[in-house]
Amino acid sequence: MSGAGARGRVETLRPRRREGELVVVGLSHHSAPVELRERVAVAPEHVGAAALRLRAALQAHELVLVSTCNRLEVVAMTEAGDPLEAFAAELTRHHELPRAGLEGHLYLHHGRGALRHLFRVASSLDSMILGEPQILGQIKEQYRQAAAVSAASGGLKRCFERAFRVAKRVRTETGVGQLGVSMAAAAVDLASRIFDDLGDKTVMLIGAGEMAELAARHFRTAGARGLIFVNRSFDRAVELARGFGGTPVPLERIEPYLPMADVVVSSVGGAGWILGPSHFNEALRQRRRRPMFLIDLGVPRNFDPALNDIEGIYLYDVDDLDRVAEEHRERRASEARRAESIIEEEVKRYWSHLRDDEVRPTIVALRDKAEEIRRVELERALRSLPAASDAERAVLEAMSAAIVNKLLHGPLVALKELAREEAAAVEEAAEMVRRMFALEESPPASAARDEDEGAES
Amino acid sequence: MEALLLDLALGAYLIGTIAAGAALVRPDERAARLAVLALAAGFLLGFAIVLVRSLELGVLAVSTGAEQTALFAWLLVGVYLVAQVRGRLVVLGALIGPIGFAGTLAALASAGRAAAVPDLLRSPWLPVHVTLAVAGDAAFALAGLVSAIYLWQEHQLKAHASRRALARLPSLETLDRMSFRLLLWGFLTLTLSVLAGLLWAELTHGRLLNWEPRTIWTMIVWLVYALLLHARLTVGWGGRRAARLTIAGFGVLALSLIGVNLLAPGSHTGAYG
Repeated sequence: MSGAGARGRVETLRPRRREGELVVVGLSHHSAPVELRERVAVAPEHVGAAALRLRAALQAHELVLVSTCNRLEVVAMTEAGDPLEAFAAELTRHHELPRAGLEGHLYLHHGRGALRHLFRVASSLDSMILGEPQILGQIKEQYRQAAAVSAASGGLKRCFERAFRVAKRVRTETGVGQLGVSMAAAAVDLASRIFDDLGDKTVMLIGAGEMAELAARHFRTAGARGLIFVNRSFDRAVELARGFGGTPVPLERIEPYLPMADVVVSSVGGAGWILGPSHFNEALRQRRRRPMFLIDLGVPRNFDPALNDIEGIYLYDVDDLDRVAEEHRERRASEARRAESIIEEEVKRYWSHLRDDEVRPTIVALRDKAEEIRRVELERALRSLPAASDAERAVLEAMSAAIVNKLLHGPLVALKELAREEAAAVEEAAEMVRRMFALEESPPASAARDEDEGAES
Repeated sequence: MEALLLDLALGAYLIGTIAAGAALVRPDERAARLAVLALAAGFLLGFAIVLVRSLELGVLAVSTGAEQTALFAWLLVGVYLVAQVRGRLVVLGALIGPIGFAGTLAALASAGRAAAVPDLLRSPWLPVHVTLAVAGDAAFALAGLVSAIYLWQEHQLKAHASRRALARLPSLETLDRMSFRLLLWGFLTLTLSVLAGLLWAELTHGRLLNWEPRTIWTMIVWLVYALLLHARLTVGWGGRRAARLTIAGFGVLALSLIGVNLLAPGSHTGAYG
């Protein structure tokens, strides 16, 4: 941005309001501790009001507020000289924070960097859990809210729509969101290698600790039909069963229920309690050898390791699951690298598209003006040469066109190159061209066409 | 016309194989979709080739060994395409692609054969018999492949081995059910084929059975699969044991196809007359 004086002149030349620059400013789990994130968090019902406040504070033409548990940021088209300062001031004011509280916890991305950030967030590459699928839905919803109050209509709208497409591409072309990285998620993932559909499967959970609850939640989310809670203290089993809508069973009555269980997750603490092959004879017979998936989260272990040798039984203990989860993390990381290169490619493509947009009106105006002059002068010349043959007319025509093209070639190429190089000078260069050639503010494409038609009639 | 179709089919199978291989190495929806599309194109082209050749000959072009080989490969691809609708079988696509390619090569080698067809082969029951037999073989072959993948997946799960660079295999349950369905359809088709063959023999030779090696082998194959289906349906065999038997069953079938054709010529080796 140049000084105020220069901009003043620019404004007189160009009455149409500019869209401003694309910026992202905010804070996330990468930059701010949870104590700060929770203080500035915006409840879903207040997102609209918060967005309006921030839009005013940032003097933004368009603005979308992205608010999740782990981030609060705005994507905006703004001309504010210091968006970071404006954002910080508004947050400090509204949440009554000490000004120093935000120090060093905010980030600001301009232009191309902002575009990249938006693409990465939408594709869940910036998430706390890499590749988690919820973020895209959240952003889409918040974008819809902004679009509803027309806070995202022009350039920002196109950026978000492109971001959604990029996110979709990342999801279909890489496996970044496919593998669960927690132990419970790894267990669900393993179960899906054995069973086709958890929707008609029953999961038995032995033990009533945090592990059992976590596993129950994961299997329920994955669609498991029935849950059986087995516990030494029957009261606690009932409590869990009520919470999840399952069946409570006291530990000493477990055996009659084993045949129903397709998956058994055991997480009983304390030594001296174990299920061995003899406990499963009856279950396997009744199940007609349909497979059983046993997950041993107990330390010391709750299942006899010999169970894994029985046909139709697949036994995984804590270490096995941890290894699977670790492999999933590695896989995810390598898929994330592929995703990053997709992002890079998309940013490059869309950014040069946007930059071309910057100079396109100037280029069009310049071409139109040159063509207009050429035509007028050519007609005048031809009028004073009434005897000219068709061949001579053609020569004059070609010569005038060649002069115009060769003269314009240099400035046009220079403008396009400036745009590609994302030099900050491109706007001023475009202005310079306008002033040197005394170009009118280039009207939108449709208006330009009207003008041409008017001139011809 | 036929040459062009053959070239296109070869290209389709090549693309299908490469795309399926790529989708196997790393998860990529587009590659997986491309593989299925290319294999589907290969299947349709194979169908068109049989049609064109049959129109030229005036009878269904399934009487020579090469034509039957090509038909087998193409039907295998067809059965695969139906099966993959239910489960993600990218792995299988990578195996099926080359088979389709090889089958098309066989058709290429036998292209432009003389149009003289003995009267004996003009009976409508013969092409029915042959086509059904080949379709049954294709279903059994696919059942064997699916069972092999089952054993592989099962072994990995037991050994707690990771799936590393391999794309998702279908679940054990899916593979088991798919293998069973393929067995069922294969058995049904084989049975109908035997009936059509008997009818043809009765109508042209005046007797039902000629007790040549292939006939006897077919009975053995039929019996093996009948027992296997019985074990699955009533005894409740499944999983690893059923998978091994399915593969063994296809071994017997392959032996009967290859062995008999090479060692014991008869009316089933294409040497008609």
